[in-house]
Amino acid sequence: MLGIFSRGQQKLKGMEKTTNTKEDKSLEYLDLLRRLSQEQGVSGREAKVAESLLKTLHPLVDEVERDRLGNVIAHKKGEGPDPHPRVMLAAHMDEIGLMVTQILEGGFLRFTPVGGIDLRTLPGQEVLIHGLSPLRGVIGAKPPHLQEPGERKKAIPGDELYIDTGYSKKEELEEMVPLGTMVTIERDLQLLANDLVAGKALDNRAGVTVLAACFQELTRLKHRADVYGVATVQEEVGVRGAMVSSYGLAPDLAVVIDVCHGDMPGVAEDEGFPLGKGPALGLGPHVHPRLFTTLKETAQEIGVPYQVEPSPTPAGTDAWAIQIAREGIPTALVSLPLRYMHTAVETLSLKDLKETGRLLAAFIQGLEPAFVEGLSCY
Amino acid sequence: MKDTLARLSQSFGPSGREEEIRTQLTKELAALDKNLAIRTDALGNLIATKPGDEKRLLLAAHMDEIALLVTHIDDLGFLRFSPVGGHDPRLLLGARVIFANGTMGTIGREELKDKEDLKLDKLFIDIGASSRAEAEENCPIGSMAVFAPHFSTQGSRIMAKALDNRAGCTVLLEVIRNLPPVDYQIDFVFTVQEEVGLRGARTAAYQLQPHLAVAVDVTRTGDTPEAPVMAVELGKGPAIKVKDRSFISHPRVKDLLEETARSQDIPYQLEILERGGTDAGSIHLTREGIPTGVISIPTRYIHSPAEIIDYRDLKNAALLLCSFLQHKDLFSSL
Repeated sequence: MLGIFSRGQQKLKGMEKTTNTKEDKSLEYLDLLRRLSQEQGVSGREAKVAESLLKTLHPLVDEVERDRLGNVIAHKKGEGPDPHPRVMLAAHMDEIGLMVTQILEGGFLRFTPVGGIDLRTLPGQEVLIHGLSPLRGVIGAKPPHLQEPGERKKAIPGDELYIDTGYSKKEELEEMVPLGTMVTIERDLQLLANDLVAGKALDNRAGVTVLAACFQELTRLKHRADVYGVATVQEEVGVRGAMVSSYGLAPDLAVVIDVCHGDMPGVAEDEGFPLGKGPALGLGPHVHPRLFTTLKETAQEIGVPYQVEPSPTPAGTDAWAIQIAREGIPTALVSLPLRYMHTAVETLSLKDLKETGRLLAAFIQGLEPAFVEGLSCY
Repeated sequence: MKDTLARLSQSFGPSGREEEIRTQLTKELAALDKNLAIRTDALGNLIATKPGDEKRLLLAAHMDEIALLVTHIDDLGFLRFSPVGGHDPRLLLGARVIFANGTMGTIGREELKDKEDLKLDKLFIDIGASSRAEAEENCPIGSMAVFAPHFSTQGSRIMAKALDNRAGCTVLLEVIRNLPPVDYQIDFVFTVQEEVGLRGARTAAYQLQPHLAVAVDVTRTGDTPEAPVMAVELGKGPAIKVKDRSFISHPRVKDLLEETARSQDIPYQLEILERGGTDAGSIHLTREGIPTGVISIPTRYIHSPAEIIDYRDLKNAALLLCSFLQHKDLFSSL
């Protein structure tokens, strides 16, 4: 839906009330999420998803470009007199995946994980191999009938898994699939009941969708802050894109959008957050306390449900890198509850996604220079 | 090139104590090219600059080697140690080591009930001292030892200690020797403390602010009996890195390296190293980010007293890097 707006039409939209968008419009971002989820963008090789995102963001912002490591940086200027607070929104666009390490006699492909993929969930998956041209494959498993006693009770070790493309000659594949070729899981986005969706790479294409949703909301709002929306690269292999983009932008403050664990059977209540109950606001040493409070109060003001995610450790998000860039950057973390993280059926609520975009836009709308100055007064 | 490697690999240069290898490299550099501006930075990185226009390229090879750090000396003069860099106790047992002052030692172990108990804290260095005082005088607490030097060849194969990464240093020297004039500035950096966390490269890249960087280091192979899977072999050419634990290559830099190898008919392999990292890991994350690539020399038995490489890979690595530096689209295509 985002892609079909021109800027002129958005201004018309701005005439409408924005308060009752909650129920009827939670499906608004489904198409964008579907498109981003399906794009390929394993850590370090994010060109495809970046290209798609550039097109999406272009009509919503003043300028958008990729930096030297491939981060997509969208800039929407603030209105009113100087100074303009500089706020960075960061959501990583890379996804976990596989990398081809060896081509075996008989045409099978060995691989290594890129990022923390759950290897136990790989047998039985369809995959796309992004070699010279895309190639389909499957990850098979030895049939139960042929397994040794006891084998069935154990997950197949990662170094025994392989991809079958149908090709039977090593030489044929060598031409099409250079070593280092990335592989992604093939999976369509499914709409489940209650506005839940399930698919691959929702960690963190959902966060990227929130980024777009926030810019979409901002087209209807006046804001003084200069907004830099960054879709970061290489988060899954060590928050690398966030490290260099926050150094480059040197913002006054940053908000990271990522996912946290949803509630599911077998997961303790304090480790999983219910879906559809709003974003989880991170709280801990890696989050600036005043940013947390302001996000919370903003949510209360505009009627966005929220949860609180206390975390004594940085929880492995871009916030970790951004907080300690340069002289230090006040950083907050907003997370979408997501079930089955790092599998191909990551599940989250479209309502949460939409509400998070709304929350961030309202938060940015309220940013004034005095607030930014206050961040360094404890 | 072989003689250079022999001199460099036998030099003493544990992480954080790189004085001797730095002196050796400074001598080699001065003899090669009088126009290089040579300096040492605050952390001890040796930086040789070939001046040029405003575009800057950084070439990095770490000069430090893994070592043992003396932590305790007992009444009988046995030395306990802490590893500096990645050590495997199975490779240390019985190894001969040398200290900066030339004192030799061998590594013994406590009596163990089970071979599985062979951990670093069960090992000690015996320098032949017969008292605590004698040991303290020669190898005080805080002193470092490295594998004892040796250098031998068999056909095209070379066996020595510290080929990780004196092989990379040798490649950089060879590039200085052979590179025709180029427009841009090149900073050749022999980095410190790579083995303890890619530390020298981090500060070097920060101060030099290159537009493009290439690191040269060694990588594992999968060509020994029952080796873990790895599609890199000795003698099949230098490896162009795709990924390791610290780094995923910049797609364009990797492609440029491959294009260069193909157009110049230089054999090469693609490297995916499932463990370990290189200087590129910290270089590419410096400041706003730096497009970076890696050329690796296939090496067997890395971090052992006797590493083996193939001389042809070393020569081809230098040739590949030299050709790459002459690529006409080097900066414009990034």
